[in-house]
Amino acid sequence: MEIGPIWRALMRNKTAYVLIALQIAVTMAIMVNSIAIIQERSRLMARPSGVDESNIFYLSSNGFTPDFDDRAAIVEDLEAIRSLAGVVDAISSNTVPLRNGGWSSGVQTEAGDDVDGTGVAIYFIDEHGVDTFGLNLIAGRNFEPTDVEWYSQSSTRWPPAGIISQDAASTLYPDAPNDAVGKTIYISNDQPVRIVGVVERMQAAWKDWEGVERSMLVPAFLEDSFTWYVIRTEPGYRDRLMPQVEQMLAESNDGRIISEMTTMTETRHKSYHEDAAMIKLLVFIVSLLTAITGLGIVGLASFSVARRTRQIGTRRALGASRPAILRYFMLENFMVSSVGIFAGGLLAVAMNIWMVQTFELTPMAWYIIPAAMLILWVVGQAAVYGPARRASLVPPAVATRSV
Amino acid sequence: MLCMQNISKVYRTDSVETHALREFSLTVDEGEFVSVTGPSGSGKTTFLNIAGLLEEFSNGNYQLDGKDISRLSDRERSRVRNEKIGFIFQSFNLIPELDIFDNVDVPLRYRGLKSAERRKRIERVVELVGLGSRLHHLPSQLSGGQQQRVAIARALAGEPRFLLADEPTGNLDSGMAASVMELLADINEAGTTIIMVTHEAMLAKRAGRNISVRDGRVSSGKSLHVASAATA
Amino acid sequence: MIRYYVKLGLLGIRQNPVLSALMVAAIAVGIGACMTIINIDYVMSGNPIPQRSDVLYHVQLDSWDPNEPANEPNEPPDQVTWLDGTALLEAAKGRRQVLSYRSSRVVQPADPELRPFEVSARSTTADFFPMFDVPFLYGRGWDKSADDTLEQVVVLGKEINERIFGGEDSVGRTLMMNGDVFRVTGVVDEWAPIPTFYDVSTGPFNEVEEVYFPFSVSVAREVGGNGNTNCWKPRDEAGWNSFLNSECVWMQFWVELHGADEKEDYMAFLDAYVESQKALGRFPRPLNNRLNDVMEWMADQEVVADDVQVLLGLAILFLIVCLLNTIGLLLAKIMRRSGDISLRRALGASQSAIFSQYIVEAGVIGLGGGIIGIGLTWLGLKGIEILYSEMEFIENLVRMDWVMILAAIALAIVSALGAALYPTWRACRIHPAAQLKTL
Repeated sequence: MEIGPIWRALMRNKTAYVLIALQIAVTMAIMVNSIAIIQERSRLMARPSGVDESNIFYLSSNGFTPDFDDRAAIVEDLEAIRSLAGVVDAISSNTVPLRNGGWSSGVQTEAGDDVDGTGVAIYFIDEHGVDTFGLNLIAGRNFEPTDVEWYSQSSTRWPPAGIISQDAASTLYPDAPNDAVGKTIYISNDQPVRIVGVVERMQAAWKDWEGVERSMLVPAFLEDSFTWYVIRTEPGYRDRLMPQVEQMLAESNDGRIISEMTTMTETRHKSYHEDAAMIKLLVFIVSLLTAITGLGIVGLASFSVARRTRQIGTRRALGASRPAILRYFMLENFMVSSVGIFAGGLLAVAMNIWMVQTFELTPMAWYIIPAAMLILWVVGQAAVYGPARRASLVPPAVATRSV
Repeated sequence: MLCMQNISKVYRTDSVETHALREFSLTVDEGEFVSVTGPSGSGKTTFLNIAGLLEEFSNGNYQLDGKDISRLSDRERSRVRNEKIGFIFQSFNLIPELDIFDNVDVPLRYRGLKSAERRKRIERVVELVGLGSRLHHLPSQLSGGQQQRVAIARALAGEPRFLLADEPTGNLDSGMAASVMELLADINEAGTTIIMVTHEAMLAKRAGRNISVRDGRVSSGKSLHVASAATA
Repeated sequence: MIRYYVKLGLLGIRQNPVLSALMVAAIAVGIGACMTIINIDYVMSGNPIPQRSDVLYHVQLDSWDPNEPANEPNEPPDQVTWLDGTALLEAAKGRRQVLSYRSSRVVQPADPELRPFEVSARSTTADFFPMFDVPFLYGRGWDKSADDTLEQVVVLGKEINERIFGGEDSVGRTLMMNGDVFRVTGVVDEWAPIPTFYDVSTGPFNEVEEVYFPFSVSVAREVGGNGNTNCWKPRDEAGWNSFLNSECVWMQFWVELHGADEKEDYMAFLDAYVESQKALGRFPRPLNNRLNDVMEWMADQEVVADDVQVLLGLAILFLIVCLLNTIGLLLAKIMRRSGDISLRRALGASQSAIFSQYIVEAGVIGLGGGIIGIGLTWLGLKGIEILYSEMEFIENLVRMDWVMILAAIALAIVSALGAALYPTWRACRIHPAAQLKTL
């Protein structure tokens, strides 16, 4: 092909092409890093919480009268909710995954106040908890009714049994994560908890916490005037049961407020909405930027075709066919794009390294670079096609026309 | 070898029809040096464009080297231009971003010749026009006469049968013009057929035959010398 | 002469309307994208209390675990324990000091038609209102004596006052919360510090609380915190008192100090206090106390979200791409007009005259881009508001003020002039004769 002469011609009239190459380079850097962020966020958003999200809703009960009986309310409410048709199971809990509010504590494999602990999210549930959340028990057993205690401000002893998530097990026992059942861990430095079971997955309430996959289920009712009721329904019953449960609880006791009724679906939506918004924003920015760069290419190519009309005519007179002229401009763009794309690749990597260090992101996947290269090459070729086609239609007789 | 019969060229705009050529007929034999003169607007350039396959014509018949031109596709026309015709323009039409070597290289590229062959030819023709030492100068670094020499080298590089020259000395001073004409005469001497459009009677006389064009028609044609032609 | 250049500039813009429109558009889009993010960054990193930010200090004491710092690398906890908060409050070594935490209450309206409802509350001491310049619609905060005597007084937010008292002056009237009767001492007017600097433990951008009541009353009623509670040391006993006396941090302490001397004295006081506590077996870590004024504390807490910083970087690069585009367009325009330029040069225009003409033209284009850019910024902010509609506080983060409007225009003009430099320089170098020859 004619790479040599095209390149030499480019070098004689660099400025405009340097501008386009720079634009492409910066676009490339932004595109690559945006895709990396989008990928990272999508990955985070795709993580399952471990619970049966589509069939769970929850609401809060806040007893405010001085004589409010916390225990009686929980027992009566749960009995009433569980007896409703369409309810699979229900519990009183201190929180649910992704709600962005909860309780975490350090647990350790040996007792003592100078032993490093591992942070785990704490869920206070009863023997219905595994069923209500829809957790997958992969080892050991569920809680028995006899495990379940009342735990409150005045309790001095931690309930002695626990079910942990698989991720917590592999963090606590990196050498033998599958043998966690039966082992004893310590909470509050020296209070023993025997691991009776392991669930495949149960996320903490905070999606951005590094330990989001580590949790421990504790067999206890938290004795407090404020509690959450978590209700799992048969598929299709959730939306029908929500107002029913809310009304039933509100009417059953004047001394408390029932509020904040939410589905797990909404909770997930709300929890990740900033990530979702960021993804949309980045997609918008990258699209707009690519469009602007594309328009820049169209503009420059149109200008360059207009400026070189006579030259094109001369080439035609000297025997260039229409496809040859088309090819000339396409190839010219390909070369300019390539310079920009390779410079952009370097810029993108540098930017990614900086972002990884500054914002603690995961480094991007290698294949984003070739993917972005391909996109920009295609955009460049598509953008230049119009002007290049117009160039190919320049009649050869232009060459003999006086200026 | 060039034979035009009753060629017409009509430019149409919405309201006006302009007849640039009317029933234009001309035959040029191998090895001739024909000058075409006429006032501006007479149709000289249109004739040249059609002869050089730069433009299509409305009616008539045109045979080049015994081949009917009117039915060729754009690609085939491009090929004919590239292989059989060399152009020399009034304003040289060198590509300003390319140096002399690359400028002369342009038609050879479209011919698809191998690199070594192209280099050989370029060096030969640039030497021929007397600019062998300036292969890597840009057009802007040359005088007008030198630029036109480069243009001639470019036209010759493809070893065409025909050279079509459009006011080749129009942008040159008389000294330079004379040397360019000298060069054209030498080239014709060597066997290349030349058709030159000019409005200068003095230059036209250097050709073997002069055609005068008026209102899109050949108004007169006369042999200026006993043909120095037919050497091929 | 400048008028002549302006005239030529405008003429130039009219001569190539498409090219000029493209340039204006390129600058406008770049400015729009960039200013949208800059605006959000500006609001987020704004000073929530400019008139007092340098006399208000947030106090941190390192009461944490001997084996690991509260925050890496060696940061003291963000909040204070009840023990330390009340001790500092009692010492009263600053001009004013406030100890508070976020809680929640259930309001029981007297009107039986209205059902009880939950409100966010701040359990705080009396100096909160004057220290933080809280604007009052009616009445004022409570007296310090109310803190000491556990008086059941309450300050209402504007909305709650409207909900319960129909927006009337409710000072002196009573309100029942969680079974206790409180007397209203004041109603707060519209108040939305951005960020909510006095407590960023649950995020820097929150609505302010709906009611305020005395810290002492709150503690006596065993009202727990509704924000973050962090503990490192297990409690020896159960119960509320044991919790109060624990090493759990869950409240914020602010002190008002004027000038470097007072700050230095207060720091010395804090160090001495910690030393005295060490003698009692507390504070196992080396001395590491902090006093940060409002803006230092906001910087320390990194209130500007990482996402905004990433977007800011991208937006600036975005503007650069738009400007590269503009440079290209300007170059194209100047090339196209090179005949005109060399004619003017031939007729006696100096290089600086040509330069002035094109710089003025670029300035006008920049101005146009800036004005349209402001419109696009407004659209961008609307878009962000819709995109982040789940975020409670978003409408407060997408406001545009005069500073930002002027900044947009300034940025647009500077950008346009910057972009014009090289093409204009090229225009100046066009030779008087070069172009005429081929005409």
